[in-house]
Amino acid sequence: MPDRVSRLPSTPTDLLRFRWPIFIALCCLIPFVVSDVWVQMLVFVGLFVILGLGLNVVVGFAGLLDLGYVAFFAAGAYTMGLLTSPGSPIDAHLSFWLILPLGILIASLVGLLLGLPVLPLRGDYLAIVTLGFGEIIRLFLINRDDLTRGSQGLSAIPRPELFGYEIDSFTRWYYFIIAAAVAVAFCTARLRDSRIGRAWEAIREDEDVAAAMGVNTTKYKLLAFATGAAIGGLGGVIYASFIGFISPAAFSLQVSIDVLAIVIIGGMGSTPGVIVGSLILIGVPRILQFRETSDLLANFGWLRDALNALLGAIDAVLPGSIGRLPAAETWGARLADDTRFIIFGALLVLVMVLRPSGLWPSSRRRLEFAHDEPPAPVNAP
Amino acid sequence: MTAAELVVDGLGMQFEGLTALADVTLRVPPGEIHGLIGPNGAGKTTFFNCLTGFYRPTSGAIYLSGQRIDGLPPHVITGLGIARTFQNIRLFANMTVLENVLVGEHQHIAVGGTDILSTRRPTYPPIVERLLVLRGFPRAALNGIIEIAGAVARPPRVRAAEAAAVDRARELLAAVGLRGRENDLARNLPYGDQRRLEIARALGTRPALLLLDEPTAGMNPQEASSMVGLIRRIRDEFATTVILIEHQMRVVMGVCESITVLDYGRKIAEGPPAAIQRNPTVIEAYLGTRAIQGGGHAAP
Repeated sequence: MPDRVSRLPSTPTDLLRFRWPIFIALCCLIPFVVSDVWVQMLVFVGLFVILGLGLNVVVGFAGLLDLGYVAFFAAGAYTMGLLTSPGSPIDAHLSFWLILPLGILIASLVGLLLGLPVLPLRGDYLAIVTLGFGEIIRLFLINRDDLTRGSQGLSAIPRPELFGYEIDSFTRWYYFIIAAAVAVAFCTARLRDSRIGRAWEAIREDEDVAAAMGVNTTKYKLLAFATGAAIGGLGGVIYASFIGFISPAAFSLQVSIDVLAIVIIGGMGSTPGVIVGSLILIGVPRILQFRETSDLLANFGWLRDALNALLGAIDAVLPGSIGRLPAAETWGARLADDTRFIIFGALLVLVMVLRPSGLWPSSRRRLEFAHDEPPAPVNAP
Repeated sequence: MTAAELVVDGLGMQFEGLTALADVTLRVPPGEIHGLIGPNGAGKTTFFNCLTGFYRPTSGAIYLSGQRIDGLPPHVITGLGIARTFQNIRLFANMTVLENVLVGEHQHIAVGGTDILSTRRPTYPPIVERLLVLRGFPRAALNGIIEIAGAVARPPRVRAAEAAAVDRARELLAAVGLRGRENDLARNLPYGDQRRLEIARALGTRPALLLLDEPTAGMNPQEASSMVGLIRRIRDEFATTVILIEHQMRVVMGVCESITVLDYGRKIAEGPPAAIQRNPTVIEAYLGTRAIQGGGHAAP
């Protein structure tokens, strides 16, 4: 629709028109310049980009706050695991390419299963029920150990083959995940700019009025849940195959929160926002744990000594009140591990205060949060 | 769509102990501009909410061009030809002006899958009705998949439908005087234009009956008289029946061909403006003698 484009604040230059192909091409070059750990990190980032785009449909487009998104991710992953892991009681040795659509289908059915009872709920109530739903799925996976092998999990999940090549190296996975993310981003963008997208947006704005304008709100809310769930299921199938091992521990509430934080920090309804959010929330903690990072931090031994001297001085005044900093090379890992959630929380608060529309909002949201400019004063002649 | 006849038969709406509407019977012939007046709390907006399916009336029946519509869900009633505006403007504030109208056109943009527009009136208890929805589920799911596939693949048919909808939305915006504001956010429009946009959005649904809830509220006399012109033009150009709730007597008497007066949820009078102005019951209940003599609602 040309009108959406013309709303962009800058004039669309050729460069702007080709920004996505250029960005994707640049992404494809990355494995040639960085080591395997970086590529592995980016595979995880890509996976969360897919999940973020899926949740974006539910939360960003339709405005339905879903705190149980991990349930759909788990549905996809367990479809893959149960049908291919040698340890599974219903192992069928099916090909990845058969399970992919099956996992998507099952996840969207789980989405409908969640959607039907919560249809009349709005806002906070919806959030609470979806939160519970995510936990129920996880507990189901733990307790039905005759089927899912419970906490032991399912292992030796095979990898996909494409044109006779097994997708086994990180680089191959990286390209695979880029292809999947591009496909998902394309689909969600098309949905947003369609009649469906407008119906979702109308429901987000005012559900009663949307109904009065002829939008079947029941149908479109269920479609939002099912679409978001389908994308979550896709992510799950890919995840199970990539990691090769799944257990209920991987599908905790934390995943739902991570994905939601990605969407909110990046900017609701925005595709670039999801990418930026994933890089920060999924990429950065992993980078902090890299060998290269600790090698780099090892150079900061002097800073640690200086800070410890300071802490020692404070300790002299208030004995026993504080400890000492650990070795500088472990800072990255410590930061990524222990203090990650404090930093996440602080980041969320900061973003909400300073940039309520997210780090990279959609052009739409940018308009929404822009302050209305006062009319220019008319100078008397 | 051609203008519809509205017949309301013994309509009652009871909220717990409160009777909002009692035994309201009314017939609005096709193409009429009908006024609905009454003191605050008389049940005028409740009446609209019953007509549009926001409320399910507790007694009585509503017929639109002969078809019984009470008890149907709002989107189905909209599909059958009733559209409305709201007393406290309820636009999709963060969508553009054009997109607001496009949402109004929702049911008229063919995209492959069709909505489930079952016009069957519910006959069983609500819980049973909810389960009955599942009966139509496979077809609805298939429609959903077709619609999603159409939106993603965007075949020529979908593009054409979208383009036609945009053209029509532009026409409607031009008709209400909002040409050139298509890409503004709805909430950035001045107040009077927001009311006009609400009307354009309602027209997007192709109504046979248009319900306007205080279209001139908060307008100065000049804006109000231009709104009166617009309402007449809409009735003629878009072939709709119009019912409007209005407090400004100048507007009501100027534009309405027939008027119904509600008080405490009951119809206390009905007739042409001149007769209503002279009706002693109305004067006593609502207008007050001085207002009538002054000829306007802001009479001293």
